[in-house]
Amino acid sequence: MASPSPLYLGEFEQLVLLAILRLGGDAHGVGIGRELEAQAGRVVSRGSLYTTLDRLEQKQLVRWKIAPGGEERGRLPRRVYALSARGLTSIRAAQRAFRRMSDGLDSLLNEPTS
Amino acid sequence: MPNLAPPRFPRWLLERRLPANVRGASIRGDLLEEMTARAARGSSRRARLWYWAQALAIAAHSLTPRRSHHHADSFRKASVMESLIVDLKFAARSLIKSKGFTATAVLTLALGIGASTAVFSVANAVLLRPLPYAEPDRLMWMSEVGRTGTPMSIAWPDLLDWRERATVFEALAAIQRGIVNLTGSGEPERLVSRNVTSRFLEVLGVQAAIGRMFTANEDRVGAPRVVLISDGLWRRRFNADPDVLGRVVILGDLPHEIIGVLPAGFRFNLVTDDDVIASLGQQATPGSGLPDRGNHNGLTAIGRLRPSVDEGSARRELDHIAAALRQAHPNTNADVHAHIEPLTQRLVGTVAPMIWVLFGAVAFLLLLAMVNVANLLVARGMSRRHELSVRAALGGGRWRLVRQLLVESSLLAVAGGAAGVAICVGLIQLFVATAPADIPRLHDVGMSTPAWIFAFAASSVSALILGVFPGIQSSAIRGPHALVRAGRGDTSSASANRVRRGLMVVEVALAIILLTGAGLMTRTMYALASVDPGFDPSNVLTLRYSLSGDQSTAALRQEFRGRVAIFGDDLLARVRALPGVERAALALSLPIEGSQWGSVFVVGGQPVPARADIPIAAFVPVSAEYFETMRMRLRAGRFFDESDTIASPKTVIVNDTFARRFWPEGTAIGKQLKQGWPEDPEPWREIVGVVNDVKLNGVETATPLQVYVPYPQESSPYTALVVRTSTPPAAIGTTLARAVHELNPNLPVFAVQTMDELMRGAVRQRRMTMVIFGGFASVALVLASVGLYGVVAQGVSERTREVGVRIALGATTAQVTRLFVGQGVATAVAGAAIGIGGALALAGVARDLLFEVAPTDPLTFVVAAATLTLVAAGACYIPARRASRVSPTIALRAE
Repeated sequence: MASPSPLYLGEFEQLVLLAILRLGGDAHGVGIGRELEAQAGRVVSRGSLYTTLDRLEQKQLVRWKIAPGGEERGRLPRRVYALSARGLTSIRAAQRAFRRMSDGLDSLLNEPTS
Repeated sequence: MPNLAPPRFPRWLLERRLPANVRGASIRGDLLEEMTARAARGSSRRARLWYWAQALAIAAHSLTPRRSHHHADSFRKASVMESLIVDLKFAARSLIKSKGFTATAVLTLALGIGASTAVFSVANAVLLRPLPYAEPDRLMWMSEVGRTGTPMSIAWPDLLDWRERATVFEALAAIQRGIVNLTGSGEPERLVSRNVTSRFLEVLGVQAAIGRMFTANEDRVGAPRVVLISDGLWRRRFNADPDVLGRVVILGDLPHEIIGVLPAGFRFNLVTDDDVIASLGQQATPGSGLPDRGNHNGLTAIGRLRPSVDEGSARRELDHIAAALRQAHPNTNADVHAHIEPLTQRLVGTVAPMIWVLFGAVAFLLLLAMVNVANLLVARGMSRRHELSVRAALGGGRWRLVRQLLVESSLLAVAGGAAGVAICVGLIQLFVATAPADIPRLHDVGMSTPAWIFAFAASSVSALILGVFPGIQSSAIRGPHALVRAGRGDTSSASANRVRRGLMVVEVALAIILLTGAGLMTRTMYALASVDPGFDPSNVLTLRYSLSGDQSTAALRQEFRGRVAIFGDDLLARVRALPGVERAALALSLPIEGSQWGSVFVVGGQPVPARADIPIAAFVPVSAEYFETMRMRLRAGRFFDESDTIASPKTVIVNDTFARRFWPEGTAIGKQLKQGWPEDPEPWREIVGVVNDVKLNGVETATPLQVYVPYPQESSPYTALVVRTSTPPAAIGTTLARAVHELNPNLPVFAVQTMDELMRGAVRQRRMTMVIFGGFASVALVLASVGLYGVVAQGVSERTREVGVRIALGATTAQVTRLFVGQGVATAVAGAAIGIGGALALAGVARDLLFEVAPTDPLTFVVAAATLTLVAAGACYIPARRASRVSPTIALRAE
């Protein structure tokens, strides 16, 4: 089966996709938000997070399945996200482009470790 | 750990905004989980704040139109809602970009909307709201008047006849305002008493909060003494004791049983808090003077009309009864007529002219603000022609551009309205804090629902009026041609300039109307301030006390009056010995404050006029030294002195007006007069002196006939102590009160004020009108001159090339300056002419508020027009001067 063609990704979209990958099988809204805040070091508005997740879903880059929620969230269900094949292709393409662009710039991009 | 409950509003918001499916549920679950986790880590307050912020952000995101769901759709036509939001965003951005313009426009609108909403709130609370009584339209107020309309109160026997014969009223009650001393336990206190007949509360449709009103049977001489107390007195003196009924209070030395407490907030006349409601019928003893039909003792009446009866038929019936009484009692009622008017008119009618004139003024100010912003918009439109032309050339439909501009002006109006409400709240607070306390319902003034509606309506009207101008602006945009012409002195710019000049003429005209109004008020205040009151009010302190005693028979009355005179003598002796006191005297009535005793009289040696024409004078008992204390001037004869005692021959002193009226030639000294009707057994009194006129009823009313009587010969239990001091008078108030209390520890002292305060009090409503009007006029002047400046400056910048040519051809600096100043001034003069026409047309409206100034006072009009023209010339001079400095080479090269 031919792999789907990659789509162009925005910076925040890439971060969200990477967060889902990092979380493995347990990528639901709360975890994605925390991962972004912890690793990317930025305050993430839940409004833009869910909008972005919805957009990624529309572009068929992610899909989700329902998992039951516990007492800690008032028994409301959670959605566990995973990358689709096209999502994986797209993030790979994006990251490849990134790495190519940053090749040979280590001395500039890496902070001095004095 | 137990879950932290999320804040209610954002949770509700999320439930509304998010879809009711698994997507919505999972988002709500995520937020709840994260908030709980955050609360566990740190403060729960911060966690809740976080929840608030996220919920609002999500709600906002779900408001934004979602991008198309499929790529193929991305070029579908934007919905109206979506493009409106885009327009709004764009308008907000473009307004934020031109901060100066936006700030000026919003501030101008805010001033107009804020000031007009504030005046509207006052008018609404004071005038428009119905009285706080059941079916207030059916309430009437009545009194008696002389043939020529001279107001007098109702004689008690007349009132009883009215009550018996009138059929138009469901209920009728008499009212008399009194002052009574509360003694017994605790501090003695002077109370305001409203003496009424039994159906008083029934007429108003008010019920006692506790207990009951007195009955007709209790409302007669000899019945057990009963009284109702106000909510305030109940809380103040009785700690809001629910078992207060049946307790006995000492009022005017007589025990009264409390039978009721009035509802909280009950103020019959909407201004004063009456402390007690007492029975008038019980006080109509033979010694009280009430049973005498010739006595008008301050009674008025209120009545509730039967449902089908109107004011006209009530008036006809009262006239009929009054005519019958004139026939039946020619001795007392020859000149007594009935007067009736709606109670609303009586209670709030006095301040109506002032408030309506201010409302009119503020409406002009609002209009002026709108015109000014319209002017700014047209100017902005001209400087944006290029931008608009480009957009038109790129295919922006005309309607699309107009709508963009409309959205912009609506946004301005909304911002102006919001800022206006803030200004209004401030203005209302300022007004309530500084307005004279005798404005009824002053403390009900606030941002009520009608005020909000008014503010909203004012903003909407602004938006509409401002919205007209995008149309004019868009006429400058005619497809690709506009692009070529933009920036040149072309026809479209000339037409916009004409619009701006037209608007300026309107603006100047409105400003002139406000300026003349302010000028007339200022002239009025000046005239009032320069009125000679006839006495020297500086360094004079007055206070009042009121002695009480049994006057139920003529003998008891005689004895009581003797005690009153002795008390007065003792008090004067003590007060005169105090340090800082130069002179001291007693008087029944004080100048400015008004007459406390009007009476008919007969002059000796002159023919007695027809019954109805017997004159009335203000009788004032005054002690020795009164005239010296007031620094009045003796015209002839002598002042009262220690030789005028209760036993000495009866004497009087009359004022100039009196002497001139009865002895236009020759002297009044030695002539005689008698207080009362020709047949009354009163003694004849000899005129021993003539003094100058003083203003008796306020500063504006002409001085009436006045007769001064020696205090010992006509001592009055209700008395004012008048003291001229060598030190600042206000400081001596407590010392004087102590002197009174040394003589009688139970006697309350009240109305402590300086004569200066009394004088100021008499004109404070007018002063306030003047200050407010002046404020409006100043704002109008500033707006108009800023507007003119803008028009001229725009003209200058557009005609730079022309100026360059003129200078190159030899025009001098002065000539160029004159050209632009001349055009500005011409606009101002045209506006001033229209404004003066308008002000003259409106002149009659302000007549009621003026004093010794004609509403068409030429000086005021000339000064107003000159001020505005001068300010306008100044505003034009600045840009004109800049024009004259244009260097021809630079001007011609520019393009």
